Amino acid sequence: MTDLLRVRGLSVSLEERRIVDDVDLDIDAGETVGLVGESGSGKSLLARAVAGLLPPSLTTTGSVTMSGTELVDASERLLRTVRGRRVGLLMQDPFTMLNPLKTVGAHITESLPRGLRRRRGEIEKRLAEVGISDPRVASRYPFQLSGGMRQRVAIAAVLAGDPELLIADEPTTALDATIQAEIMQLLRSVQKARGMAVLLITHDLRVAFAICDKVQVMYAGRVLETGLSEDVARNPRHPYTAGLIGALPVLERRISQLVAIPGSVPRAADVTHKCAFADRCPQRRPDCVETRPPLRIVADLHATACLYDVAPAETAPPGDAVEHAQETPALGKPLLTVAELRKDYGQVRALDAVTLTVQPGERVGLIGESGSGKTTLARCVLGLASPDGGRIMLDGLDITYPHRLSASGKRQMRSLVQCVFQDPSTSLNPSMTVGAALAEAAGRVQRAERRSVDELLDLVGLPKKYALLRPNRLSGGEKQRVAIARALAVNPALLICDEPTASLDVSVQAHILELLRTISANAGTALLFVTHDLAVVRQITDRVVVLLHGKVVETGATAAILDEPTHSYTRRLVASVPPAPVTFREERANA
Amino acid sequence: MAQNELLPRGATADQSDAFTGSVAAAGRKRTPRARRPALTIAAMIVLGIMLIAAAVGHWIAPYDPALQNVGLGPTGPSAAHWLGTDDLGRDVLSRLLEGAHTALIAPVLIAVGTTVLGTTLGLLAGYRQGWLDTMLMRLTDLMFALPGLLVLIVVVGVAGGGYAISVITLIILGAPSDIRMVRSVTMSQRELAYVDAARTLGIPARRIMFRHVLPNLAPTVVANLLLSFVFALVALAGLSFLGIGLPAGTPDWGLMIQENRGILDINPWAAIAPALLITITACAATLLGDSIYERLDAGKGFSE
Amino acid sequence: MVVVKLVARRLIAAVLLLLVLSLLTYALLALSPGGPERALLGDRPATPETIAAIRAQFLLDEPFPVRYWHWLSQALTGDFGTSITVRQPVISMLSERVNVTVTLALLAAVVTLAVGIPAGLAAGIRRGGRLDRSITLVSLVFLSFPPFAIALVLLYGFAIQLRWFPVYGTGDLSHYVLPAIALALGPAAVLTRHTRAAALQVGEQDYITFARARGLSRFGIWESYLLRNSALPVLTIAGLIIAGYLTGAVFVEQAFSLPGLGSLLVQSVTQKDIPVVQALVLLSGVVVIVANLLVDVAYVIVNPQIRQGRA
Repeated sequence: MTDLLRVRGLSVSLEERRIVDDVDLDIDAGETVGLVGESGSGKSLLARAVAGLLPPSLTTTGSVTMSGTELVDASERLLRTVRGRRVGLLMQDPFTMLNPLKTVGAHITESLPRGLRRRRGEIEKRLAEVGISDPRVASRYPFQLSGGMRQRVAIAAVLAGDPELLIADEPTTALDATIQAEIMQLLRSVQKARGMAVLLITHDLRVAFAICDKVQVMYAGRVLETGLSEDVARNPRHPYTAGLIGALPVLERRISQLVAIPGSVPRAADVTHKCAFADRCPQRRPDCVETRPPLRIVADLHATACLYDVAPAETAPPGDAVEHAQETPALGKPLLTVAELRKDYGQVRALDAVTLTVQPGERVGLIGESGSGKTTLARCVLGLASPDGGRIMLDGLDITYPHRLSASGKRQMRSLVQCVFQDPSTSLNPSMTVGAALAEAAGRVQRAERRSVDELLDLVGLPKKYALLRPNRLSGGEKQRVAIARALAVNPALLICDEPTASLDVSVQAHILELLRTISANAGTALLFVTHDLAVVRQITDRVVVLLHGKVVETGATAAILDEPTHSYTRRLVASVPPAPVTFREERANA
Repeated sequence: MAQNELLPRGATADQSDAFTGSVAAAGRKRTPRARRPALTIAAMIVLGIMLIAAAVGHWIAPYDPALQNVGLGPTGPSAAHWLGTDDLGRDVLSRLLEGAHTALIAPVLIAVGTTVLGTTLGLLAGYRQGWLDTMLMRLTDLMFALPGLLVLIVVVGVAGGGYAISVITLIILGAPSDIRMVRSVTMSQRELAYVDAARTLGIPARRIMFRHVLPNLAPTVVANLLLSFVFALVALAGLSFLGIGLPAGTPDWGLMIQENRGILDINPWAAIAPALLITITACAATLLGDSIYERLDAGKGFSE
Repeated sequence: MVVVKLVARRLIAAVLLLLVLSLLTYALLALSPGGPERALLGDRPATPETIAAIRAQFLLDEPFPVRYWHWLSQALTGDFGTSITVRQPVISMLSERVNVTVTLALLAAVVTLAVGIPAGLAAGIRRGGRLDRSITLVSLVFLSFPPFAIALVLLYGFAIQLRWFPVYGTGDLSHYVLPAIALALGPAAVLTRHTRAAALQVGEQDYITFARARGLSRFGIWESYLLRNSALPVLTIAGLIIAGYLTGAVFVEQAFSLPGLGSLLVQSVTQKDIPVVQALVLLSGVVVIVANLLVDVAYVIVNPQIRQGRA
């Protein structure tokens, strides 16, 4: 065997509960393997297990060997010789990965092999390798660096030990899209230059397909499919992989219907003896739940844990939807007018003379990365932040300073604009039942127009019995649906969506996006969709406004801007999105 | 680059957050939680017994706590006097039972007073911010610069003792830490989207504070209540141990320690028993407060 | 520079705090029953002549700010007046007794540090283990164990039963052992819990995992990560612990009949010897405020985040 890393039958349990269930994984020297999965798939634990860094409370069985050295149950002394020198682990969050009390140089020095620590110019060399040409960075502290720089420093620190295998656990998730692309690029070039093997852990299929030689799809603690990236992307052989690909919003065009995978990810321990995906599978048969389907080889290097071939979709693959191509908003009185809006936080100008309009029923995307001011703009429109200049008009009502409005003005404003917030885990009050939260919101409108809790739940596709539950019993997607129902309770003319799907898994995201699309179409609700995700914007908006450092740099019809961006920043944004996989089926359909 | 930090960070730390959370949770040993109930229940039982003693101690005491038997003098434990007698031949057990009332009722009053005051002001300061917040914070700064018990000793001592002044002083002394704690929890709750959602719906501030935010502060408030109780219990006992606040001869736990520490060699129980009762009660309340805190820390109310 | 500016700001705040404190201390006079004359007369007969003398001596006929300023300017030079009961300058009473209290506090500080930090680290590193559980429980007990009760138990056990130490009074260092332990255990419990929490918090950080993943030695992680990074949060409670000694000393000195500042406070409070009480309150306020100031400054110096100018 030429395998560098060989994982056989690896299981990880907390007490008696399985979290990772009987996983195999092989990585050859110089190879890049992607481990793809949604939250709860066990992919990060697998990475930790390979690095010998699992918390002691977890029990591990099976075998993990690095060029023949067994790591499971190995002594700390042996593991220490492996960690850093043979296996490096790059973690997710550059904001927490570096010691706040140590300089950049100290981080690199301490991870260098003993012999190199005193060599002059070594730190500069290591920094240059990760694209930091300014040697003064070595004396900086992490908090003085941006997220992207921190991640570069962390990469330099991991590479200081010259590992044969680099495990990168969601290394760009905490970063902005343009920076994400840079870091991925860097990892790739370093991997090539060093001939190092890379195990990339990611939730993003697009990234995995674009970068990795092989991918391994994990779900509920086990492997469902493994194969060469190209094969898996073109011809997924597990319904879950196929579903995930189908649920991916794409940048290149608008899909008429995003197909979500129903339900949510089960716990690994609950599905040990059956197909983990059976409960959500569109083509489930009785024997799927009788035993656990083993990985079977379907083609060269391609294996699936499904007993059957993936059925062709019952309907034709979703076609492209018609996109409104209007350059300027339709004439008529705008619903929302933001004029020359300014907002400062101390020295920093968060919004700098921002002007935009939203027509009734229109769906406008507000695109920007962190620090662009997009959330600040949303908060100003919602009356949650107070601008320092400019004007906000909503349906003829001046809401720039909502506290100056009369009582009836305030009431009017509240029934005009509502919001769906980013993080579903905090957007519902944990001490209030779903029903109480919805009833309170519904109580804000006149009795005649008031909708019942049942109606509201029905609107977002949740069963009535959810009214009695507290938020902690709901999954992320369900919480977000309740949040949408709450916002709709007052039947607003404008719904602001502040990254409503950013914290959700892809399969759930599709559902929420589809729901918002339907609601907007049926009730004529205008949407102001705040996001950093261009693919999502393509699916849901007619027009986009691109923000950079608090200024509008580009605005126009969504299709036009995403297909032919004119501003250099927008171009970079568009270029940073990895291409969507084109499946075999689609190829055929398009042919 | 500084901008990145100062502005609300966008939607970047997304999907995998949930996951790192669960790695951390998986890494957390479960054992301390399994242990909690036994100790917590023990603490509740101790507090329960103490409160019952405070309520009915007067009636179940075997002797009149003030009944002197100078001829008998101090004696060790015997069949007639389970915990012996003090210098004046008074029954120690009866005095302890009688003293439970004064020892516990005032701290309960103080704990309730402190918590109500501290929670209300902390909630207002944390939610409203502005001048009220600034003023309260300067005030608590000032109070933190003074060792509370010293202030108590001086104020009660110079004012010549008295039940009311002790209670009021202790409420005022205890409030700042409650204000701080409730304020900081309120401020972190205020950042959460559910408060923004309520504000967007136009729900009045008072309702948001007391109906939305307050229930989520419950663990902090209950823990504060117990800590204030401990503080008051120990402070009042300490005060009477120093001979400040109560007339000599009152059957009070702190005073009993003070009066009987001279006969440690004859009947150690006369002084040690009240000392232990104070400690056990304080321990039980601290333990209970602690376990409530721990649950708050583990559960946080959000995410699973 | 940033550090100087920050320190200057803290210093100004401390001075303001001291001024307010002195004002409150001075106002103590008014609080005493019978008003300031009665308080200042002590047990002398209250004839019109003596009262007039007192009013003249303490400028009681002047407006409050004038009186306060007079008192404060004298206090600043160390003149707190004379004791009402002992007829001795307050400052000399303090200097006679300060040694006892300082010795006691220093010994207690040694015990606190020697017990609190190792225990806290041991518990924090073996989170959830048997050692952690025992340490957590014991620290919880001592957290609620009032110093006078500890004193009593120690007295009974070690002085009366075992006769290892003298029972009461001053003399050589052996007289201070039990009082210092009685004084130290409460703060030691506080320190243990804070150290444990800090170690736990640091131990859970990604940067520790990242350091381990790079193959750093256990000792290296201990020394340059855990200890240094948990020192910062622990430092912040130094002021709290010093305040704990001040109040604890009152009870412990009383329990062991040590003639220190604490027992002087009890004595002067019971006898309503206001000038002495004022001096002691002001003194303890100064100690706490200065201690907090030093902690703040140390924090600024240790933390690069503040040092490098991102307050």
